[in-house]
Amino acid sequence: MTMAPQDFLPGLAEWVHGLDSVFPGKQVKPWFAEWEVGHILSLIVLGGTSILLNLRLLGVGLTDEPASELNRNLRGWTIAGVVGIVATGLLIGSANAERLYTSEAFAAKMVGLLAGIILTFSVTLPATRRDGELGPIARAAAVVGLAVFAVAIWMFAAAKLANPGLWHVIFAGALIVLFAARGLTRIVYLGGLAVLLAVQQVMTNVVYRWDDYAHLDPTNKAFAWVFTAWIIAVAIVQAVATGRGRESGPFVKAMAFAAILVWVMTAAAGRWLAFA
Amino acid sequence: MLRDFLVWMATHLGKGPGEDAMSWSEALAGSLNFWSLLEGTHVLSLMLFAGTIFVVDLRLMGALFRKTPVSVVSDRVLPLTVFGLVIMLVTGTALFFAKPLLYYHSLWFRLKLVFLAVAAINILVFHFRVQRDMEAWDAAPKPPAKARASAAVSLLSWVLVITFGRFIAYDWTNCGKPLPHWINVAEECQRSENGANDVAKAAGGALK
Repeated sequence: MTMAPQDFLPGLAEWVHGLDSVFPGKQVKPWFAEWEVGHILSLIVLGGTSILLNLRLLGVGLTDEPASELNRNLRGWTIAGVVGIVATGLLIGSANAERLYTSEAFAAKMVGLLAGIILTFSVTLPATRRDGELGPIARAAAVVGLAVFAVAIWMFAAAKLANPGLWHVIFAGALIVLFAARGLTRIVYLGGLAVLLAVQQVMTNVVYRWDDYAHLDPTNKAFAWVFTAWIIAVAIVQAVATGRGRESGPFVKAMAFAAILVWVMTAAAGRWLAFA
Repeated sequence: MLRDFLVWMATHLGKGPGEDAMSWSEALAGSLNFWSLLEGTHVLSLMLFAGTIFVVDLRLMGALFRKTPVSVVSDRVLPLTVFGLVIMLVTGTALFFAKPLLYYHSLWFRLKLVFLAVAAINILVFHFRVQRDMEAWDAAPKPPAKARASAAVSLLSWVLVITFGRFIAYDWTNCGKPLPHWINVAEECQRSENGANDVAKAAGGALK
């Protein structure tokens, strides 16, 4: 059993089959690459503004201004980015529907998109508008968004041949914590990452041969877990400890962290569609 | 001469003894997941690099953070941009190393390099000319025309770099395909493995 759209929605096969020969797929197909550029530019606008807004909640980046000032300036661009990726995604998807219908990475991407929209509109925008505060309804929605994000990660991890793309999410998580950590925490954190990286290189290049996939696959998966545990442990220390971003509590900081990663995960699943 | 060096890099550098031995370039291009991870990181880093530089450019154009001094926006945001740029340069160089001849003979890659150069020159002009009297307009909601023009050039250059970068993945203008003469010349197809295949058509018509 795979987790591609065709497994959840088998009745749509015929409709999907004809999508690229009717409007708008038929019209988009000859201009697929150009629409793809539109999709990437929308992602850049969304990603850039999301990074700046959520990093501000973590006490990083444009800290000279209150979060509400960032919200006032960037909100429109964030929303335009969301609308842009959905609109261009629908168009290029209609021209490439059969490929997406059989892709597990695409299913993970769609669940990630849902989680991204929930977290953006329940955490990123409201928390920055209120300078780090979140009301009870937004907090409940954020928890739902986080749960959906967890499902998306699980689907991505289960997507055969595409799941190495999860390293992008781990790498992005490592960078966010690096930006947010400071002082001794940053040094210990970097030291831990360096040791893990060195041990992983020895295991995957010296202990096992480069083509010994029977050993390399479980070894790399084990390291993915260890890296994730280390990054999350330091992120928790950063979120709970007082320091940067004092106006945001640990809950908002944790959600801001997830609200960046969810877009990285969604984009990574989209990119690995092409590789799997 | 450059092409000869790239051929050596692609086929000989790091190659061990034996017929089946691969060069480092071939090993990277043929890796199970590493090349894909590099390519994915290159694309995803755009969110950090381009997504943040656009914010700085829009401030310089007077479209964002009009109440915040330009120096504050650039001092706080540009370190993130530089971080993204370093990731992009490292992954981009590795990707080029994996398939140097494909990129060397690509019209889109060459155009990408042209606009990378435009963006780099624009940064130098901004740093050494436009920024010289920044104290006078640092807090201005709408910076002077020279700063706005520099920001517009930056925005346009990066959009074109991204656009042409995406187009590299398509084989529309690969050497060996029937192409207008000027594209064959621009890509130096005559020297490529697949050679030049001229068609007597107006440029543009045979692109797709």
